[in-house]
Amino acid sequence: MSNLPLSTSAPRLTVPPPNTDEKTPLLELKNLEMRFPVKRGILSRVVGYTKAVNDVSFEVYQGETLGLVGESGCGKTTIGRCIVRAYTPTGGSILYRTEQGTQLDLATLEPNELRDIRTDIRMIFQDPYSSLNPRMTVYEIISEVLRVQGGHSEAKMKEAVQTMLNKVGLRPEYMHRYPHAFSGGERQRIVIARALITNPRLVVADESVAALDVSVRSQILNLMETLQRELQLTYLFISHDLSVIRHSCDRVVVMYVGRIVETAETDDLFKTPKHPYTEALLSAVPIDNPRQRNSKERIRLKGEVADPSNPPTGCFFHPRCQYATDICKTTTPPLETLATGHTVACHHAKELSLQGVTTH
Amino acid sequence: MALTSSQTPPSKQATESAVSLEVAGQWRLMWWKFKRHRLAFVSLIVLIIFYLIAIFCEFVAPTTTSKFWRDYVYAPPQTIKFVHDGQFGLYVNGYKFERDPRTFEKTWTIDNETIIPIGLFVKGEPYKLWGLFRGDRHLFGPTEAGQPFFLWGSDKNGRDILSRSIYSSRISLTIGLVGVLFTLVLGILFGGLSGLLGGWVDTSVQRLVEILMSIPALPIYMAFGAMVPIDWPPTRIYFMTSLIISLLGWTWLARVVRSKFLSLREEDFVLAARLDGCGPMRLIFKHMLPSFYSHIIASLTLSIPSMILSETALSFIGLGLREPVVSWGVQLKDAQKITNLANYPWILFPALSIVIVVLAFNFLGDGLRDAADPYTL
Amino acid sequence: MHSVIDIKDLNVHFETRQGLVRAVNGVTFSIPAGKTVCLVGESGSGKSITARALLQIVPKPGKITSGEIVLHHDGKTTNITKLEPRGSEIRKIRGSEIAMIFQEPMTSLSPLYTVGNQISEAILLHNKVSKKEARDRAIELLKRVGIPRAEQRVDEYPFRLSGGMRQRVMIAMALSCNPKALIADEPTTALDVTTQSQILDLMRELQEERGMAILFITHDLGVVAEMADDVAVMYLGNTAEFGSVDDIFNNPKHPYTQALLSSIPKVGAERGDLVSIKGMVPSPYRRPSGCPFHTRCAEFIEGVCDTVEPAAISFSDDHVARCHLYNNAGQVANKEQGRHV
Repeated sequence: MSNLPLSTSAPRLTVPPPNTDEKTPLLELKNLEMRFPVKRGILSRVVGYTKAVNDVSFEVYQGETLGLVGESGCGKTTIGRCIVRAYTPTGGSILYRTEQGTQLDLATLEPNELRDIRTDIRMIFQDPYSSLNPRMTVYEIISEVLRVQGGHSEAKMKEAVQTMLNKVGLRPEYMHRYPHAFSGGERQRIVIARALITNPRLVVADESVAALDVSVRSQILNLMETLQRELQLTYLFISHDLSVIRHSCDRVVVMYVGRIVETAETDDLFKTPKHPYTEALLSAVPIDNPRQRNSKERIRLKGEVADPSNPPTGCFFHPRCQYATDICKTTTPPLETLATGHTVACHHAKELSLQGVTTH
Repeated sequence: MALTSSQTPPSKQATESAVSLEVAGQWRLMWWKFKRHRLAFVSLIVLIIFYLIAIFCEFVAPTTTSKFWRDYVYAPPQTIKFVHDGQFGLYVNGYKFERDPRTFEKTWTIDNETIIPIGLFVKGEPYKLWGLFRGDRHLFGPTEAGQPFFLWGSDKNGRDILSRSIYSSRISLTIGLVGVLFTLVLGILFGGLSGLLGGWVDTSVQRLVEILMSIPALPIYMAFGAMVPIDWPPTRIYFMTSLIISLLGWTWLARVVRSKFLSLREEDFVLAARLDGCGPMRLIFKHMLPSFYSHIIASLTLSIPSMILSETALSFIGLGLREPVVSWGVQLKDAQKITNLANYPWILFPALSIVIVVLAFNFLGDGLRDAADPYTL
Repeated sequence: MHSVIDIKDLNVHFETRQGLVRAVNGVTFSIPAGKTVCLVGESGSGKSITARALLQIVPKPGKITSGEIVLHHDGKTTNITKLEPRGSEIRKIRGSEIAMIFQEPMTSLSPLYTVGNQISEAILLHNKVSKKEARDRAIELLKRVGIPRAEQRVDEYPFRLSGGMRQRVMIAMALSCNPKALIADEPTTALDVTTQSQILDLMRELQEERGMAILFITHDLGVVAEMADDVAVMYLGNTAEFGSVDDIFNNPKHPYTQALLSSIPKVGAERGDLVSIKGMVPSPYRRPSGCPFHTRCAEFIEGVCDTVEPAAISFSDDHVARCHLYNNAGQVANKEQGRHV
């Protein structure tokens, strides 16, 4: 078992293997499906399935920050959990390119094969209160993964933890304290330290700032950016907060009830969205300039977010979409490329000109 | 932009106590929270005293369980007095013997004229501490060995009820612990397997638990009582009794452990540990179990009284321990006859010990349960 | 515009084992009829406690130690701080004069009673009407807050409804007795952004219709920009700044307000590093001396900000800030330290 690169070692090479001449993605999701059984009755018989993730395909390129955005029930958290194999997907594949260049399908790996991947793909959790074991010290929490993987002396681990704590802006002496001694923002730094201690290649950040105070969010976002540059990380940034997505992400994937509706580079998505749901989502975000309060036409969506266990026919968004026509009720729109890097799943994407967010 | 994590440090004294709070692990936090529960804290002291008495019972008791005074049957309790004729000294009054003129019944009453001085660390009946060490000093007793000294009166054989009660504490208090040990092992084993593995393991263990819980306890004990050979040595009977009590009594702990496991499984920090690569064994013992050691301790503490009471009840009706082994239940058998109870009410004194111990365990368990989760206010 | 609620120098203190916590420390502002005042702050700022003080539902061991909360209703004035928290006087006010909606729609509706039942209860408590009338009114209210098929929905239990629906039910309950003031404690924080915009629209409509005063508590500055007429920015129990929404966003005076505005990521902004406020919100048990924000303030003046609590300084009729930068002591000290204000 080779020695794991700890944070104290040299940064990874980011030059891709020499025999490829186009950008190969670090992670590629192909037709990913995750469904949960719906049980009814005294005997808990399975009467149907909820497709939390429904035929999702996208790529994550090395070094970028890919945003995954959507509202409740869209499946973004489930995708994150599938990638780290907290859940085992019920369909599709998650192709991961290792450092050596081989491609592994994370969805079908056996548990013992997964062990080696655990250090490459790590997760930052949302709630810094429930994701730190209150009965373990900070040192024990952060070093747990190193301990489990084995092959590191106690002294080496201590050094690695101290370096990591410095990097996230906490005093190394604090490592013998328990989580209850820290505030929310400090705890989230511990969560980040735990995720990055193994020098991973891909980090899934599941709503990493949602539970924090507003003034602390910016600290953590800046920290995550700094660490990305320093450690050459790739982030999958899951969030429901569009302003955070705008600020942090290079590309964005928009999801609705388990399906992808649009992917684009961030600026393109926000300035010229191509899917009516994206347009509505952007329109719903409150503008933080009171003088522009009544300036734009607010798109009022009817009804509520669709229920993933009983989704509408055809395009899931059609009951709430102001541009819907007959074809939208019957046929699921495929994900098509409109421009470079901009894909949409909408029958009318080419004809519609939708309103984005103006810079203010 | 600089990332600083500290704020303006407050005064030094505040820092120090604050720091100790921050490095305090769960046990220290629990202890602090426990100390605030006055009743539980006092109960802890009381129980420590009781257990010390139980450990050193041969030394503490004024006399042995078998020493009897043929003449002093059902003698009433004596009270300790301090001053006699202007002189300071511990003593009790002796007995005078009266015969009721109509029934010709012999009774003992306290004679205020006779003095029996008592003292500490007196020489008395020889004994073997824990069956190993010979000794004849007693913590307190009559200065003149052989004098009748019955703080709780004497029973139908002329034996000192207090001394026998003290010896009983050893049996009654430890049977609770032995039972608890069995419960702990069986409860965690079955509950843990059930909660973690799920599936058919879970289903079968739960059905087993339900069947055991629905068996009425008393008929089982009675059947057992009938089965036990008369010639078994008392210690063997003692262990079998506690084994039987706990074989039916572990089920509630299995359920508690199982439900705790099921809820902990969903916690984010358990998921984080899984993502760190922890296998199921490490998950259970390093990450999940520490979260409810405290609950288990609290629950077990609350279950000890019921074990003590079970043993008392069994011995009382003759199904548990018997003479010559002495326990509070055995002592109380004497009180079954209403005439005895009416004429000699002091034979009920051993019940006082039971009440105090059971109450103390209940309060202690309450305090432990409150302290068990120190992370909430 | 007359004010419905006047809060004057309110103090709410918590006596805890670890010390005295001044959760609300001398807060003063007014809520005019037909207007929305947003109370902005982070955790520990005291905004929720202020709201709860208005209805005398401050959780133990908190106590209102001084100050006044004056409610103007039907020509009368009542000082709420003088009322017994468990008395009948305050109960008459709760629900009928001042109503409140909460953050978690999942937990603020009772799972044991139908939606209609819960709305009717509020009506029946304050009005002498029959059960049937109360039910009819409940159905009307459900329609008004935009719940489709209200006649069927009125008999459903809360668990059948989505988060947005439940929040609408809460609003219906709050409005059932035509209150003069509505307190909304982070009502949209737990909702999706599209649902949030629906709820905010609804609240604005209802306010216009009924002329209610709204006290809207939030930490989301975007929502503040959308909803507020006036804004009170709170930090560790003090009002750092109070002013019209325009003043706060375009002419903020207090360093905390300025820092907050520049530290939030904006949907419409270009990408770039965020200016972050250094340090953490101090623990309420270890309250900094003087101005509570001084430990994190970019404009900290040594010797002044850490010793004396700044008094309120008025910039215009209704724009107030508590900061030493704007009073004599601060300006003098600043000059001495060679800095420009």
